[in-house]
Amino acid sequence: MLTLSFRRFWLFVVLISTHSSWSQINSIHSEQLLPKDAVTVFSINNISLLQKIAMDDLVNYEFMSEVHQELFDGSTSNKTLKDAGINFDERLNLFYGKSIKYELSGFTFGVSDKKSLFDVFDDFQYDQSQFEGLEVYGTFFNNLLIKDNQALLIRIEPTMQYIDEVTDSIWFARGYEMPFEFFDEESFDEEASFEIDPSFIDEESALEEQESILEEEIYDEEQENSNVFPEASENPLVKNYYELRDSVQVILQQKEFSRVVEEIFINGQNLFNADERFASQLSHQAEAAFYMDNARNLNKAQGFWYFQTVLPTLYQDIQDLYAGNVILGDLFLRDNQIDFEVEAQYGASLGSIYTQMNDARFDANVLDYIPASSPAYFTYNINLQKAYEQAFKVVLPLLSDEKNAQIAVNVLTLELLNEFINKDAIFDTYKGSMFGTFNGIKKVNTKKIEFTFDEQSFEYQEIETETQTDMPIFTFGFSTSRPDIPEMILKQLSRLSSRIQHFDNYWRIDNAVLDAVPLYILNTGDLLLISNDEDMARFHYNGYGNESLSKKQRKAAKKSGFMYGKIDVFEALDRFPLEVLSAENAEIFSSFKGKSGQLELTSSQTSETHTNIKLSYQFDGQETPGEHLLDMINSLYVMYTLNP
Amino acid sequence: MKVVLGLLVLLSFVSCIEISDDITIHNDGSGTFRYKINLSASKIKVNSILALDSLDGKPIPSIAKISAKINEFVRILDAQNGISNVLVEENYTDYIFKLSCDFKNIKQLQDAIRLSIAQITDDKVTAPMDQYWLNWDGNMLVRNIPTYITQQIKSYKIQDLDLLKEGVYTSIARFDRPVASCQNKLSVISKNQMAVLVKTNTYALKENQHLLDNTIVLSPR
Repeated sequence: MLTLSFRRFWLFVVLISTHSSWSQINSIHSEQLLPKDAVTVFSINNISLLQKIAMDDLVNYEFMSEVHQELFDGSTSNKTLKDAGINFDERLNLFYGKSIKYELSGFTFGVSDKKSLFDVFDDFQYDQSQFEGLEVYGTFFNNLLIKDNQALLIRIEPTMQYIDEVTDSIWFARGYEMPFEFFDEESFDEEASFEIDPSFIDEESALEEQESILEEEIYDEEQENSNVFPEASENPLVKNYYELRDSVQVILQQKEFSRVVEEIFINGQNLFNADERFASQLSHQAEAAFYMDNARNLNKAQGFWYFQTVLPTLYQDIQDLYAGNVILGDLFLRDNQIDFEVEAQYGASLGSIYTQMNDARFDANVLDYIPASSPAYFTYNINLQKAYEQAFKVVLPLLSDEKNAQIAVNVLTLELLNEFINKDAIFDTYKGSMFGTFNGIKKVNTKKIEFTFDEQSFEYQEIETETQTDMPIFTFGFSTSRPDIPEMILKQLSRLSSRIQHFDNYWRIDNAVLDAVPLYILNTGDLLLISNDEDMARFHYNGYGNESLSKKQRKAAKKSGFMYGKIDVFEALDRFPLEVLSAENAEIFSSFKGKSGQLELTSSQTSETHTNIKLSYQFDGQETPGEHLLDMINSLYVMYTLNP
Repeated sequence: MKVVLGLLVLLSFVSCIEISDDITIHNDGSGTFRYKINLSASKIKVNSILALDSLDGKPIPSIAKISAKINEFVRILDAQNGISNVLVEENYTDYIFKLSCDFKNIKQLQDAIRLSIAQITDDKVTAPMDQYWLNWDGNMLVRNIPTYITQQIKSYKIQDLDLLKEGVYTSIARFDRPVASCQNKLSVISKNQMAVLVKTNTYALKENQHLLDNTIVLSPR
């Protein structure tokens, strides 16, 4: 009996672990329809989320009108997400992926009521499916595939680069002249072409020159149109260049669509079973999960095509360096708290650089210069010297192996600089612990010109007077063990410009901020501080003393890994200068001010395999975290739509 | 047009603005026109706006583009009948702009300004050519803002009207002979009797452009 049970257990294990085709999957979920090529996924755990956000509340938010407009056309107006026949017991997974050849996007979801679904998606037409049990529907751009009440809405587009490449190849193979010159011609920019360089003294000659350029361009365009532009043929079976390109686009799209459908619905291959990290992320009891495969992003990044084609070995090395680089995140709605927990995973080589970079002793002195009243501040702590040395060890051999003249010159330059430059001086000047604070708004003195008119004849005069204006106050600083170097730079610069002046404890650079307000530089010997706060420069050379961060705040900053940040949302918004916003946006911003809470960013110690970052938002009040989150999203949406 | 729109956006966000128009009319009807815009009290705001690519969905022009547009306006104005000595001073440190020109008669000046503005803004709607805001008969200067201008000003969307109260508009008219009387209650006559000044804030002017209306009668020759 025991033997039989054990055998059954193993049979069960084998069955569930070896499913490789759709027919072998008994119960499928929406996340198992995600294409393997999806590089970024945002997965919403509807079951968990809907316990915290009522659907009735959700559909009434302004931002949902955008979703409804997208989903429902005029014939289905007054419908909401609730009426869409979506199974909210399944996850809703939004995905995006891009390769050099294709771009794909869409979402997967569960279906509870097909009739309601097609009342909403009423522009989708039924298409004949090649595969049993798979229903296929399509619009001009999108495809909807349903099997076993799980749906995949997908849009696949070949990239223009790939379409052009294939079209050109066919066009050329058919013996036609390539219309490169015509297509490469820059579009005629009327404004740019007519724009007169203000430096021209002789305006007439400038105009003549512009006119002559214009005439030449029109002439060239006519010439090109007559000779090279592919004319439509009288024979309907012979396509001109554009017709051919359209055909190529459709064929490539269909080909890739068929491949993806077969991969998911026949072979049972999808992102969920292809990437354990993604599957593991979805097992978390979070309201939403985020996945971004940086390694594949790099692999498919268009900017790397040069490396791929010209320097394949180096490209392979870079790929190896980025292997295993993925960002995973969870969104949790907790009591009076919303947490976004992110884990950045990476491979051994990159991990060795990050580990060295974060092997730094935090200089607690920087905390003395952050006032406890500061509504927003951050600290950042890295060991640049170790990071540089490790990067030199890891990256330079990759470059040195490449047999390319330009890279060889770059490698030589790097090696020479490494030998000749006093690296200790550089890395001692910037030691790696830095901070930044936003200290609200202060009135600062500026100068203005006033028009005056004498009483005798109203003759006009200009007088310079003092005025006060609101200015956001910022302070940045970093630790240094070579205070003599910035001092030397400032001393020499002050000889060049009268705007740079030295006072007892600080340097002042006049009109450095927005050409109106001075910037102050304090060199304490351990720290170099840069601020537009005169009060800080004059009275806080040694820090804020009792007015600086509390012990608890200091401990939180010191305990965090390479980065720590905190924003008092209420204070930061309250002190934000509304004058820089338009009246309408200022009003919305003011209503947003009602949201009080603390936003805290913390990071873990960096290991050779991963770094964790947590963004935590704590708020006061009786609202549920779901309502609070939706209120914030809605405020941001309203703000964005008014000021896109 | 984009640059002009951008300039309007920029000005609509700048509240503390000082504008002055200053016209000198000689007995023969010729004269000099000066126009000054002073944004020095708002230069932080101007600098911060200029650092943006766009604001309120509209592109913000660069200083080079603003300068090119001003110079285009000057070039067009200088080419108009009866206009000469067009000079412009651009101060991009304090944001003070001064324009001056000589004119043969006051109608030519107004036609020239109207045409030049229409050209740089690509304005398809031509302002009515029979409506002038200044009329001079040799003894009397009548300033009357025409309806098409008041309607145009009303249509401008100003971001924060209250802040316009900090702005100042000054209008000065100078003559070769003493002023006998002027009808606008805001008018002040200079001690030498040869000039009239009307000063108001930009908020009041936005609400009622007729604040600058005036009838100035000169003493007989």
